[in-house]
Amino acid sequence: MTINIVNVIPVFLEKEKIETSAIWNKRVAFNKGEKLQIIAPSGSGKTSLIHFIYGMRKDYQGEIVFGEKNIGTFSAEQFAQLRQNTLSIIFQDLKLFPEQTVFKNLEIKRTLHPFQSESQIVEMAAKLGIENKLNRLVKTCSYGEQQRIAIIRALQQPFDFLVMDEPFSHLDENNRKIAAELIEVEAAKRKAGLILADLKRVEYFNADRILHL
Amino acid sequence: MANSFKTIAAFLHTGQNNTSKFFSYVGLGIGVLLLLTSLQLYIDINQLLKDKNPRKNGYDFISITKEITDQNMGNDNRFSVADVEDMKKQPFIKDATALISNQFRAKASAGKIIPFSTDLFLESVKNDFIDTVPPSFSWQPGQQDVPIIFSADFLEMYNVFAPAQDLPQLSASSIAAINITLECYGPAGIQNFTGHIVAVSDRINSVLVPENFLQWANQSFGNALSTPASRVYLKTIDANNPDLLTYLQQKKYHVNKDKTKFGRVKQVLQAVVSGLGGFAILVILLAMMLFSFYLQLMIARSKDNLQLLITLGYSPDWLSKVVAKKWIVAYAIIIVSALLLTGLIQYLFQHFSLNGKDELSPYLHSSVTLLAVFLLILSIAVNYRLIKKSLASL
Repeated sequence: MTINIVNVIPVFLEKEKIETSAIWNKRVAFNKGEKLQIIAPSGSGKTSLIHFIYGMRKDYQGEIVFGEKNIGTFSAEQFAQLRQNTLSIIFQDLKLFPEQTVFKNLEIKRTLHPFQSESQIVEMAAKLGIENKLNRLVKTCSYGEQQRIAIIRALQQPFDFLVMDEPFSHLDENNRKIAAELIEVEAAKRKAGLILADLKRVEYFNADRILHL
Repeated sequence: MANSFKTIAAFLHTGQNNTSKFFSYVGLGIGVLLLLTSLQLYIDINQLLKDKNPRKNGYDFISITKEITDQNMGNDNRFSVADVEDMKKQPFIKDATALISNQFRAKASAGKIIPFSTDLFLESVKNDFIDTVPPSFSWQPGQQDVPIIFSADFLEMYNVFAPAQDLPQLSASSIAAINITLECYGPAGIQNFTGHIVAVSDRINSVLVPENFLQWANQSFGNALSTPASRVYLKTIDANNPDLLTYLQQKKYHVNKDKTKFGRVKQVLQAVVSGLGGFAILVILLAMMLFSFYLQLMIARSKDNLQLLITLGYSPDWLSKVVAKKWIVAYAIIIVSALLLTGLIQYLFQHFSLNGKDELSPYLHSSVTLLAVFLLILSIAVNYRLIKKSLASL
């Protein structure tokens, strides 16, 4: 499985930013099993690219092709299938249910297409130091804790690719290290590709390739 | 996806706006109960009033006359041949025949046993139209004996005034034994015949003699070759057919009210029950609208959560199905309860109001059950479509 980004240009992006980019208006392939880091300064369209790949926005020209299928023509049902089985995500703005408990936030993703057991949720939470927060409402957790919840949630399903938008921005060094390790181990289990977009090079993430947006 | 509503229940604000949900349930229950009861009542009315006319071989026979009003009382209000032909052309009239009456003076007396004599009228009609025609009801020219079919109503009237006149009361069977002297007055004098009552008719209020006798007698004593008829007999599948009643009303024909009054009662009752059914449909529609507001409000309030569920990979189609399914049980309970209550009403009505008579089944008609099933499917489909539409627009 490969994700092909074919001459994609966001309709809102300035011309000069497109010309200097290694991704915009180019033909780029992201391969399964590969660890890719995209370094993108603020305003270069990093979050937009993540949202284009995840099918949340369509305000671009060009094509994004999963295997043989152009996701620009996907229906809501096809996206649901893609997000259940093939593609997982860690949002920059986390997108958690603030009124629900930490556990409920993880369980709602796990039950969709269970890849992990319920006990593995607890194990991962313990690794990332939020085991004792599982029964608390998300809105009462710190942003750093919420970021760890979002990371664990993304690992509850099967996937060929995991896309991440500044996934460690609010983590301390220790947690960054543990989280990066956890993600790499889980990706290896699935022989999946990792696409990490951040403002700068992320330590502890052993990228095979780095692209500048 | 093996998930159920329980998985996503916490993400939906279902507990809010419970008042409108409650009222929509109550409204739906009342509406469905009214609609099912109206349909059952409609069927009951048809069933109960089906056999209220004297029928023969599946046909109703009714006699009509022209309406006599203050304005037309001086005119000839008899039926012409064209009138009868026009009646025969109507799709709801199977056959029509004029009743021929005597065009001469006729008098009957019963001899010494019953010292009673009276001028009387004689009529004849095709045998097809008479409910009781014994083989002896025939006459050949030259025959002295004339068979008579006598109205049961006349016999009843006779038995009412007979005791006061010191006359014996007579039963339907004993009347056949009486020799009646039938005096026919013509230009050449009086000719006597012997009359015998061979049958009593419930249907025709008249004194009937064989058709060929009256034709012969009208020519011989009344010099009348053909005579317009004052009464016409109609043969119809259903004397209560609204088209027939409208036709008779338009033509200003007067119909024996006893024979059609059930038709009118039936018409009025059916109109009332249909009105009730229409009202019930309105109540159901309002209840479903109220419920749709509740659903839309619930979806609007849960919009962020639903959007995030879809973003996480939940299928909008699956969500619609699961959310719609949540209310199937409530809808099924309401509609099945209304159906059972309708069944109970029917049973009690048959048992107590009709004392368990066989003419009405104590159980629900199958179409009532079918209607309930249809309503259940309809409400589920409407809710599913509404939820799907609302989710698609998120």
